[in-house]
Amino acid sequence: MNRVLAIALNTFREAVRNKVLYSLLVFAVAMIASVLLLAQVSLHEESRVTRDLGLGGIALFGVLIAIFVGVSLVYKEIDRKTVFALLPKPLHRFEFILGKFVGMAFTLLIQIALMTAVLFTALSLQGEFSGASAAILIRAIALITVEVMVITAVAVFFSTFTSPFLSGVFTLAVFIIGRSTPELTELVGKLENPALRFGFSAALELVPNLHLFYVSGSMVDGHAVSIHAAFVDWAYVGWAAGYGAAWAAVVLLFSMVVFSRRDFV
Amino acid sequence: MGDLVISSDNLQKSFRLGIFRKRVEALAGVSFAVEKNEIFGLLGPNGAGKTTFIKLLMGLIFPTAGSARVLGRPVPDLGAKQRIGFLPENPYFYDYLSCEELLDLMGRLFGLDARERRRRAGALLERVGLSRIVKESANLPLRKYSKGMLQRIGIAQALINDPELVVLDEPMSGLDPIGRREIRDLMVDLRREGKTVLFSTHILSDVELLCDRVAIIVDGKLRGSGPVDKLLSPRLLHTEVVLASGDRTEICEVAPDGDLDAVLRDALAAGKHVRSVTPRRESLEDLFMREVEAGTSRVSQS
Repeated sequence: MNRVLAIALNTFREAVRNKVLYSLLVFAVAMIASVLLLAQVSLHEESRVTRDLGLGGIALFGVLIAIFVGVSLVYKEIDRKTVFALLPKPLHRFEFILGKFVGMAFTLLIQIALMTAVLFTALSLQGEFSGASAAILIRAIALITVEVMVITAVAVFFSTFTSPFLSGVFTLAVFIIGRSTPELTELVGKLENPALRFGFSAALELVPNLHLFYVSGSMVDGHAVSIHAAFVDWAYVGWAAGYGAAWAAVVLLFSMVVFSRRDFV
Repeated sequence: MGDLVISSDNLQKSFRLGIFRKRVEALAGVSFAVEKNEIFGLLGPNGAGKTTFIKLLMGLIFPTAGSARVLGRPVPDLGAKQRIGFLPENPYFYDYLSCEELLDLMGRLFGLDARERRRRAGALLERVGLSRIVKESANLPLRKYSKGMLQRIGIAQALINDPELVVLDEPMSGLDPIGRREIRDLMVDLRREGKTVLFSTHILSDVELLCDRVAIIVDGKLRGSGPVDKLLSPRLLHTEVVLASGDRTEICEVAPDGDLDAVLRDALAAGKHVRSVTPRRESLEDLFMREVEAGTSRVSQS
């Protein structure tokens, strides 16, 4: 475990020193500026706009950073030959992958926490911040966090065997398909050819249903879910987190298998 | 024969390269052993397979066939790795870390506690001649270091676990003559401390100065292994005679079956002075060139 933490700490240190976290500043400044601006033009709708903008921003920035950093996480170690000094140390290859993921996940958690703080500050400035609304927002942000972790695991998986560009394309494809799972499932259901229907249904099973994690404005169990009215409870958050954790674990397991069989020439 | 620290048995490695997955044989059945407490040189031209052999031992690549044992355990083994220090060829480290942070990271991987990591890092920086630089600019990231300094840091990180076996891939690379001398001294010190050193090189003088035994690898094949003087042919190549007359110096080579007496007699009769008469036997360079040429001719014939 100490070895995993050593790799994780180093991954976090790299993210901080490579100034990835500073992208947050851009987000924070842009968000506060837009809140001030939108407060002028959106009569009585300031808090709704802020919440929508905030949650959308947290999800977008979280996923983008997960993809951009995640796709080169392992590839860079191989390309820059830093693994040559590390793997001959008493370190299992799976511990290396796990350490990279934990370090990246910790980096993203801090980013999401900071973005959440900015969102809450913006809402407080508008006088729209209460315990109840905070609880709803935190549930939505918890779901976004799980989604970001799943995307990170997917990016790490592709990063173990292909270039950052291709990893980026594949991970983005998984993200877009995953977010559109309900629509695609419905489309596939309308296919007349049973073989095609079976093939596409099976293919959809290979992609995590990311729609589960972005619930604002969608249907959950036949009810419209919105951060302004009905919203998912903690039981749903727990169930979705379990689904996401299972997906991330399986994808990481595949990453470990691929990485443990590789030759580092 | 003493305890075996490394033993390789018919170790083979081939790679598939290019679009057509053409098979390239990097190592073709290499077998030899390294004994405890010796400095063993892996000698060969660039691209001979030395680094491939070392990477196989370090578990960075997997053999196509054959097997290897390090410190009595089959490769790769976590218990054995705990007792190995390794310097990769042209080492690349995390360039955003400082020297002390890198040593701390490596120490953590060996399970050393914080106090021990600090103690060993300080001692090793002193040992590789970097303590003054680190004291002057403690937080300098490795990207600002020169190649020679990185090589020294590489050696320091290879020794952080006080290893029984030290494997150095081209340790003299990028070092100036003073640095090379220091690393040679360090390798001798490591042997004195009871450690075993395996290093790869194509610099013949380093081998002659340091090695108890060598293995010569050419085109992925082992061309010979053993003590340097045993590998060299005892056969007389020629006798070199240096003659002087006035300001002029002349050198003649007399074949083993030539009449050396007659050459000397004629020179003295012509009023020349004999400065030296040196029998020339095979040098390590001759042996190396002979093996490289033999390897090359075999490849061109096949």
